[in-house]
Amino acid sequence: MAEAPLLELRGITKRFPGVLANDDVNLDLRHGEVHALLGENGAGKSTLMNILYGLYTPDEGQILLNGKTIDVGSTKASIEHGIGMVHQHFMLIPVMTVAENIVLATEPRKGGVLLDYASARKRVRDLSDRYGLAVDPDARIDRITVGQQQRVEILKALYRGAEILILDEPTAVLTPQEAQELFEIIRSLQEQGKSIIFISHKLNEVLEIAQRITVLRRGKVVDTIPAEGATEPGLAQMMVGREVLLRVDKKPAQTGDALLQVEDLHVFDDRGLESVRGVTFEVRKGEIVGLAGVDANGQSELIDAIAGLRPVASGRVVLDGRDVTKDGARDMIDAGLGHIPEDRHRRGLVLPFSLAENLVLHGYRKKPESRRGLLQLGTIGRRAKRLLEEFDVRGGTPDTPAFALSGGNQQKVVLAREIDADPKVLIAAQPTRGLDVGAIEFVHRRLVEQRDAGRGVFLVSLELEEILSLSDRILVIYEGQIVAEFPPTATEEEIGLAMTGGGREVAA
Amino acid sequence: MAPPARTGGDDVTALTARFERVEWLSPRAIGIYGIFLGALAFWFALPPVMTRSPVLPVALGILAACAGIWSFSRDEHRVGGGAIAAGILGIVLGLLALRSSTGNLKDVVVWSALFAAMLRYATPLVFAAIGGLYCERSGVVNIALEGMLLSGAFFGLWAAIWAHGWAGNAAWLVGLAGAALAGMAFGAIHAVWAIHFKVDQIISGTAINFLSLGITGYLFIDKYGDTGTPGDITNYGIPDIHIGFISRIPFFGAIFGQLNLMIWLSFLLVIGTWIFVFRTPYGLRMRAVGEHPRAADTVGIDVIRVRYIAVISSGAIAAMGGCYLSLGFVHSFNEGMTQGIGFIGLASLVFGKWRPFPTFAATLLFGFSSALADRLDAYGDQWSTLFQALPYLMTLIAVAGVVGRSIAPAASGRPYVKQ
Amino acid sequence: MSDDELAEEEFEAAPPAGEVPSPQQHFASRFRGVTGALGPLATVVLAFFVSGIAIVAIGKNPLRVYKAFWDGTGLNFFIHFGSHSVRIPFSTTHVWFWWDTASISAQNLQQTLLTTTPIILTALALALPFRAGLFNIGGQGQYWVGSILTVWVGESFIGLNGPVHIALCLLVGTLGGAGWAGIAGFLKAQWGVHEVISTIMLNWIAIWTISYLLGQGGPLQGSQPAIPVSNQIADAAKLPIFWGPKLLQGLSIGIFIALAMLVVYWLLINRSTLGYEIRAVGFNPDAARYGGMSVARNYFLAMAIAGAFAGLAGAIDMLGWRYSLGQLDVENQAGQIGFIGLAAALLGRNTALGVGAASLLFGALLTGTSGRQLDQSIFRPDLAGDLTTIIQGLVVLFVGLNLLGLAAWWRRRRGRVATT
Repeated sequence: MAEAPLLELRGITKRFPGVLANDDVNLDLRHGEVHALLGENGAGKSTLMNILYGLYTPDEGQILLNGKTIDVGSTKASIEHGIGMVHQHFMLIPVMTVAENIVLATEPRKGGVLLDYASARKRVRDLSDRYGLAVDPDARIDRITVGQQQRVEILKALYRGAEILILDEPTAVLTPQEAQELFEIIRSLQEQGKSIIFISHKLNEVLEIAQRITVLRRGKVVDTIPAEGATEPGLAQMMVGREVLLRVDKKPAQTGDALLQVEDLHVFDDRGLESVRGVTFEVRKGEIVGLAGVDANGQSELIDAIAGLRPVASGRVVLDGRDVTKDGARDMIDAGLGHIPEDRHRRGLVLPFSLAENLVLHGYRKKPESRRGLLQLGTIGRRAKRLLEEFDVRGGTPDTPAFALSGGNQQKVVLAREIDADPKVLIAAQPTRGLDVGAIEFVHRRLVEQRDAGRGVFLVSLELEEILSLSDRILVIYEGQIVAEFPPTATEEEIGLAMTGGGREVAA
Repeated sequence: MAPPARTGGDDVTALTARFERVEWLSPRAIGIYGIFLGALAFWFALPPVMTRSPVLPVALGILAACAGIWSFSRDEHRVGGGAIAAGILGIVLGLLALRSSTGNLKDVVVWSALFAAMLRYATPLVFAAIGGLYCERSGVVNIALEGMLLSGAFFGLWAAIWAHGWAGNAAWLVGLAGAALAGMAFGAIHAVWAIHFKVDQIISGTAINFLSLGITGYLFIDKYGDTGTPGDITNYGIPDIHIGFISRIPFFGAIFGQLNLMIWLSFLLVIGTWIFVFRTPYGLRMRAVGEHPRAADTVGIDVIRVRYIAVISSGAIAAMGGCYLSLGFVHSFNEGMTQGIGFIGLASLVFGKWRPFPTFAATLLFGFSSALADRLDAYGDQWSTLFQALPYLMTLIAVAGVVGRSIAPAASGRPYVKQ
Repeated sequence: MSDDELAEEEFEAAPPAGEVPSPQQHFASRFRGVTGALGPLATVVLAFFVSGIAIVAIGKNPLRVYKAFWDGTGLNFFIHFGSHSVRIPFSTTHVWFWWDTASISAQNLQQTLLTTTPIILTALALALPFRAGLFNIGGQGQYWVGSILTVWVGESFIGLNGPVHIALCLLVGTLGGAGWAGIAGFLKAQWGVHEVISTIMLNWIAIWTISYLLGQGGPLQGSQPAIPVSNQIADAAKLPIFWGPKLLQGLSIGIFIALAMLVVYWLLINRSTLGYEIRAVGFNPDAARYGGMSVARNYFLAMAIAGAFAGLAGAIDMLGWRYSLGQLDVENQAGQIGFIGLAAALLGRNTALGVGAASLLFGALLTGTSGRQLDQSIFRPDLAGDLTTIIQGLVVLFVGLNLLGLAAWWRRRRGRVATT
C-alpha cells in the first residue's frame, strides 16, 4: 500500500571527532509497521536513534513526522512528538519502584504538593492491562527480572503517549523465552496502532518480527528491503561485507600438547547472571584458537575468569598442567599467562604513566627491573627502548606519557609488554580494535610468530575477518556456550550464522 | 532473597525450623533481642533501678551473648556480632557502675535531664545531617557541613546583634535569616565548584571548611575580639518554648516542657524532610538525579538545576543549625566552636543510610553521648574530657560497621556531564 | 573502527562511569619544568588577591599589611649582602659569611624554618596517600599522637645517652603516627570506609584522649599539680640547635630531617616499587589489579607511611622546641599544622619540590603573622592568624580549579593526536 510514511529521516549526517557516524542516512517508518535497523557494532544505528530521540543533534538532515518537519532538539521535544525509546542500557532507577520510574517527571499530584501514589499505581495498572505488559507497580526495579524491567521501560514510553517506539537491541539482555514474550508484546502493540523501530544485529529475530529491514554499514545505508523473501545469509552479507584484508601468510600449524585447558567453566557477571554457562575447550602448543561471537555473549567474563580477574563459579582452568582455577591475576602472570585486554585504556595501560613504566606493569617487581624494592631505571629504560624499537612504536620515547600516543601505538605497547614476557599462553582480546591497517598487520604477524614459536594463542575478536585469517581452529560462542567449531576454511556466512544464533529457532 | 529451604531432617532441626519461620523468632530478631538485653544489663545498674548486686547485669549479659551466638551461627553476622558485643559491654559497664558510689550515679544519671540534654546536643547535628541529606541525595558529596554550620553560628549571631537595635527581642528571627543567607553563600560556592567546574567535591568541601573557619574567626575577632560578644544575647536569642501542661507530666515534663524552639523545629524538619523526599514529586525527582542522573535527564529533568537547588538549600539548613548553637544554646560565639560536629552530622547521615528517621535516631545517639560526657564531671574533670572523645569513637565504629550495607545515592560524588 | 568511534561506542554502550577523569589523574600528571610552577603560582597570587579584599573590608591597606607580614618572615635575610662573621655550628671557629646571621631577619628566618619543618612533613602526609587516590585529613591527629608518645618517652628513660634517646623518641613518634593513620588505612582497605570521615574522627579522638592524658589528674600530667602540662623531656633528648640562641627557640637540626624526608618521599614515589604501585593504584585501580597489584594493601601502606610522616613532625617539634605538651596546646584551634600541611601539599601538587616550596611559603606566612613578629599597630596577630586560614582555604579552592584548565587542555590534545 502506497501510503505516506509516518516518520521520515532524510539525509541525516552526524560527525563526531574523527568519525562520520551517520552519512546521509534515509529511513522511513510506516504506520503500524515494525521496521528493523540492522548493522554491526559501530555501524551507526544507536547514533541515528539517539538523534531521533533528541539526545544528539544532527549536523545535516531533517526529520519529518506525518509529512511535517519537526525539531527534536531535546528528549522532551521528542516525547511530545510521541517518540519513545527503550535504551539498551535501561534508564531505570534501581532503588525505586516500577510506578515511580514510570511516572517520574510527570507525576500525578494530590492536593497540588503531594505525590498521588494511589493514582500512579492505578494508571500503571491500566496501561499494563491495556497493552498486556504484566508488571507489579510496587516492585523495586532491582528486584525484578530483566525482562520485566524492559516491560517497565516500554510502559514508560507508552505512559508518555508514545506512538513510535524505538527498541535498541532489546533482546541483548533477554533469555530466549523472554525474547519470545517480547515479540508477543510487539505484535500486540502493533495491533494497537503503534509503530516500532527495532534495532538489532540478530538476523533470525529481525526476520521473525520485522516487516522491513534497513541495513547500515559504517554509517551508510546499504539498502532497505522487505523482510519477506530476505534470508539470513543474504542479510549477513549486507551487514558484514567489506574489502577483504590480506590474509596472513602462515605455515600450517604444528601443534603439541594442550597448554590451556578450560573445563565446564561457569562464571557470573557483575549483575549476578550466569554469563559463561559450561564452556570447555583447549589451546594447544603452537596453535591459534579463535573465539568468534557477537559482543556480550560471555567472552569478557570468560577471559576475566581465565586471567584470574574474576572468580570462577565452577569448572577448572589448567595452565601447562597446573590447576590455576583459584589463582589471582598476579599468580596467573607468574604462571605464564599473557593477557592483551580488550580495553587498553581501562585495563591495559595506566595512561599518565610513561611508556617505560607501562612496559613494566607486570614485571616491575622482579629482577632486573627492580632490586630490593627500588626500580632500576636504567634497566627499565633500556628495556623500553629495545621494545619500542622492536615493536615499531611511534609517537614517543620511553618517557612519553601513554596518553600522548595514538591508539595503534598504545596497543603496540601493550602487545610489546605481553609478548616480551614470553608467556606460555597468550590471550588476545580484541587486539586490533581501533587500529589502522598497518598496525593490524603488525599485530597479526606477531601473534603468528608467537604461535610458530610454540606458544598457545587464544584470540577473541568481534572481527570475523581477523578470526578467519589467523586461527587454526575457530570456536563460536553464543549466549555463554560454545555452539560450534569450524576449521579456518569455513565461510563467513557459516560462522556468522552460528554467531547470531542462526540456524537455530529462537527457542521457546 | 529467600532463606534457604529446610527440608525434613531430624526432630530438633524440624522444631527449630518451625520456630524460625515465625517472624519474631527469626535469627535476626533474636539478635536484636540480644542487643536489647545487653543494654538492659547495663541499664539495671543505673538509676532508677540501681541494683547493687552483680547477678542481674551478668545474667542478662550472658543471655544477650547467647542470643548473639545463636543469631551469628544462623548467618546473621552483623546483628549477632552486635548482640555478643552488647552482652559483653553490658556486663563490663554494669560492673563498672557497681563500683561507683550511688551518690555519683544519681548525680550523673538523671534520665530526664540526660534526655533533655540529648535533644539539645542533637539539634545542631539534625540540622547538619538533614542539610547534608538534601545535598547528597541529589548526588553531590558534602564535606563542608562543618563550615556551613560554623558560618551559621557566627553570621546568625552577628545578624541578631545587629538587628537588636530595631528588632528588640525578635532579633533572633533576623539572626536565623542571616545564618541561612551565609549558609547559602557557602553552599553556592560548593555548588559552582562541584557542579559547574566539576572539581573533586572533597577538595572543594575542605576549602569551604577552611574558608568558613577563617572568615568567621576573622570577623569575630575584628568585631568582638577585645570585648567579647555582648552578654545580653540571652534576651533576644532563640527562645525556649515553655509548654505548661506538658511540664507537669512527670519525667516527660522535664524533657519536653522547656525546649528551645529550634529543637521543635528540628522534629518538624525531620518529618517534613521525610514527606518531601518520599511523598512529593520534587523529592522523587531529586532522588532520581542522585541515583541515575542520565535516566532523569532522559525524562526531561534538569539535573543541573536540581543539584544547585539541593546544594544551596543544604547550606541554608546546616547554617540554621549552627545558628541554634550560638543563638539558642550557648548565646555566644567562639572561633571554631563547632568542633567537628558537622562531621558527626555527616556520619549520622551515613549511619542513617540517608533516610530522615534513622538519621535522626543516629543524631540522638550521638547527642546522648555528648550529654553524658557533659554530666560526667561528677566523677572528676578528666573523665569528662575523655568522654568528649566518645561521640567521635562511636561515629568511627558506626561508619565501619555500617558501611557494607550502607548504600549511598548511586551517583554520589560524580559530576554530571551532559552529552 | 577508529579510536574515536570506539570512544563513541563506549559512550553509547557503557553506563556512564567516570567520564570525567579524576583529579588524581591530573594532579601528578606530567607538567614538566617551569610550566609546572605556573599553576601554583597563579593560585597563590589569586589567593592573596582575594584575601586582600578581606583586608580592605576591615579598613586596612593590603599592601602595608602584606609588607608587615613579609618583614616578619625573615626571608629578606637573603637579600642583604654584607660582610659578617659566623660561627660554625657545634664548634668555636668563626668564618667570613656574606649574610648577617645575628640580625633580626636572621632570627625571623629561624622561626620560619622552624615552622616550615613540621609543615613539610604533614604536607607529605597528605601528598603520599593522595597519589594513591586517598584523602588523608588526619595529619593533625597523627601529629598529636606522635607528639604525645614522644614526650612520654622523652621524659622517661632519664639518663639514656643523648643520640640514643633522641633516636628512640623519634622512632616512637613516627610509629605512633603510622599506627594511628594505619587504623584509617585498615578500615579503608578492609571495609572501604571513607578515609575522610575516619581520619577526621580519629583526629578528634586523639585530641580529646591526649587532652585527658594531660589534664588535671591525667596519667601524663607533669609534677606541677595545678597545671595541665606534661613534664619536660630530658635535656639529652632535645634536638641539637644549630642556629640561634638555645634558650630562645633556635633552629634545631629537625629542619634537615624534614628535608631528608622530602628526598625520601621523592625516592619512594619515583624510584621504589611501592611507589610505582601507589601511583598505579591512584591513577587506575583497574589497570593496577590487572597488573597483579593489591589495591587494598597499597591503600593501607600509603596511609601508614603518611601517618609516619605526620607523627615524625610531632616528634621533631617536641624535641626541637616544645619540650613539653600542655592540654591547651592540643585543644587550641589556631595554627593547626596538619591542615596547613594539607594546603601546602595541594599547592605543591604533591611533588617533592612543590611540597618543599609550598611549605616554605606557608611557614613564612605563619611566622610573618605570628604575635612575635607582627607589628601590632598594622595588623592584629590573632586576626592575621585567621587571615592565614582564609588564605589556606582560598588556596585549596583555587587549586581545585586549576584542574579544569588542565583537563580541558588534556582532552583537546588527546583528541587531536588520536586522529592521526
